Amino acid sequence: MKKQIPNIAGGLVLILLLIFPLIYRQADYDYIMHVMITAFFYAILAASWSMLAGYAGQFSFGHMGFMAIGAYTTALVCHYFYLSPEPTGLCSEMPFFGQWLVVVNPIGVTSTTLTQDCLRQAMEAWGGSVKVTPMPVLLGIVLGISFGALAGFLIGMLVLRLRAAYLALFTLGFSEILKATISAEIEVTRGQAGLELPPLYPDGVSFFGMHFSATDKIPPYYSMLGLLILCLLILGWLAHSKFGLFVRALREDQDAAAALGVNTTRYKVLVFTITCAMAAAAGAVQGHYVQIITPNMLFLLQMSLVVAMAVIGGIENFVAAAIGAIVLQVMLELLRNSFEIGGVEVDMTIWRLVFFGVLLMVTLRFFRNGLIAPIIAYFGREGVAAETVSKRAVASGEEGRS
Amino acid sequence: MIHLKVTNLHKRFGGNHVLKGVNFEVNGPELIGLIGPNGAGKTTLTNILDGAIKPTSGTVYLAEQRIDQLQPYEVALAGLGRTFQVTRSFRRMTVLENLYVPALAMGGKLGSKALIEKAMSVLEFLTIDHLRNEFAQALSGGQQKLLELGRLLMLEPDVIILDEPFAGVHPRLMEVIYAYIQRVNGEGKAIIIISHQMDSIFSLSQRLLVLNFGDLIADGPPDEVKNDPAVIEAYLGSDEEDAA
Repeated sequence: MKKQIPNIAGGLVLILLLIFPLIYRQADYDYIMHVMITAFFYAILAASWSMLAGYAGQFSFGHMGFMAIGAYTTALVCHYFYLSPEPTGLCSEMPFFGQWLVVVNPIGVTSTTLTQDCLRQAMEAWGGSVKVTPMPVLLGIVLGISFGALAGFLIGMLVLRLRAAYLALFTLGFSEILKATISAEIEVTRGQAGLELPPLYPDGVSFFGMHFSATDKIPPYYSMLGLLILCLLILGWLAHSKFGLFVRALREDQDAAAALGVNTTRYKVLVFTITCAMAAAAGAVQGHYVQIITPNMLFLLQMSLVVAMAVIGGIENFVAAAIGAIVLQVMLELLRNSFEIGGVEVDMTIWRLVFFGVLLMVTLRFFRNGLIAPIIAYFGREGVAAETVSKRAVASGEEGRS
Repeated sequence: MIHLKVTNLHKRFGGNHVLKGVNFEVNGPELIGLIGPNGAGKTTLTNILDGAIKPTSGTVYLAEQRIDQLQPYEVALAGLGRTFQVTRSFRRMTVLENLYVPALAMGGKLGSKALIEKAMSVLEFLTIDHLRNEFAQALSGGQQKLLELGRLLMLEPDVIILDEPFAGVHPRLMEVIYAYIQRVNGEGKAIIIISHQMDSIFSLSQRLLVLNFGDLIADGPPDEVKNDPAVIEAYLGSDEEDAA
């Protein structure tokens, strides 16, 4: 029975998260919903990084890089590609299933953006007689995930022989190069000015007779929660399959695993590909939710935050890492409220980070597998010690009689 | 029919010529002891046989398949398994999970009745079945050695290399390892044992290979090898060296 406690608790939390937007009625509704959506975003990153680092032992510090690949891919697709029934004669274009695939020319950051790009000029000339269709957001997200997976595959191939600190530095380098490239290519990415994305649901969403506008929080809440649940289900399936066993063997001793017939190359590349695809998916959806992305999403601090969330939750359990991310994100926001002690104002916008740092240090020093994973393990491994003792006693008794 | 053929095997690490043209064959379920002083090249030879390092020149064939250029996992799947001098169990995985890894690599199905029954019978034979759900890091050094041997039973290779199986093991566990070697050999597997414990090697082996500074200086029955002047010199030193 005790073994089922984590499953029951997980089920209850899931139900609570599913009904939360419907029962929460406070004035700060939009703000709290935003906090929750961001928490789910970090939970996907922490859970997928936990599979990569905690299960497979691949300490990558480039996870935010793959997240950014997902976000920038869909942003670039939605920003530059359109379908038009007529050729513009100004843009790069090609026939595409009876229409024209138009690629808008990159114009960088200017004060007269709207009149300079070729498509806007063509539309002005048409005077509203031709309807141009942007690329579907879903296509951008799918392409973002695909490019994230491809990048994960390539990086996985490149780091086959790298371990520990070398792997961490290599992936950190990759992330920094990506950030510098995005910052430098202002013409295409608009650099620090940021690239705008259409909302997750540009026309809003209708279900059960209710209509939610493009800026409503409920559709992105359920989208991000749905993506988190999907990622957790995939990770759970992987962790309890041959894949999970092999990547853990890889973490424990790569040479010994290979000597026992495990194709370590295949599983190392696979775990990079899958977890990077998840990070890219989170980035793509989050990009459409916040509607603007900048290279700042690649700051080392962001990666450190994901690592800290996973470590505090417990990196050897992806569910614990996800819970850690949600709890910490919510706490970091709730702790923003400053207060006074004896007339002295405590500025919590800064002190909350101190609290976070202390929690991380205490966890690393005293709870090597995090704060949540040991609780799950306590219930999951219930009876193991008693079983060992009783079996040993039976074996000793049999030896004594023989 | 097991047939391992090692031909003119050389290995150089920079200027260090570790193996100097080693030749030997294993035909059938032989029980072979591989001995030699420290630095003789035993571990290098083992690492080449299991694919961890590639030879500078020479070939290794296992049942007509050339294995010296294969990856370690391919060598394992081809039928050559090994243990390590320093035990390398998967410490943060349970004892059962340690056994499942090679079985699944060989195509077993996770959760199948056959896999569980096979793993349990291996653990019972090795007398560590009561520890099946414990993490390997909770096991003693000797028990971890047994676990390594158990993993090989799950892999079911034709040729098994045991690197220092008796080092640091309690006499009672040594009996289990002796029984293991005899059982596995009796099941038709060839076993190569590397050990510095001469009593165990001489009592178990049907044939001895002696390496010294990268040369195979003796290959024959234990009684014959024991009296070989080259072997005596390798282990005890020559009169000239003593005088010097």
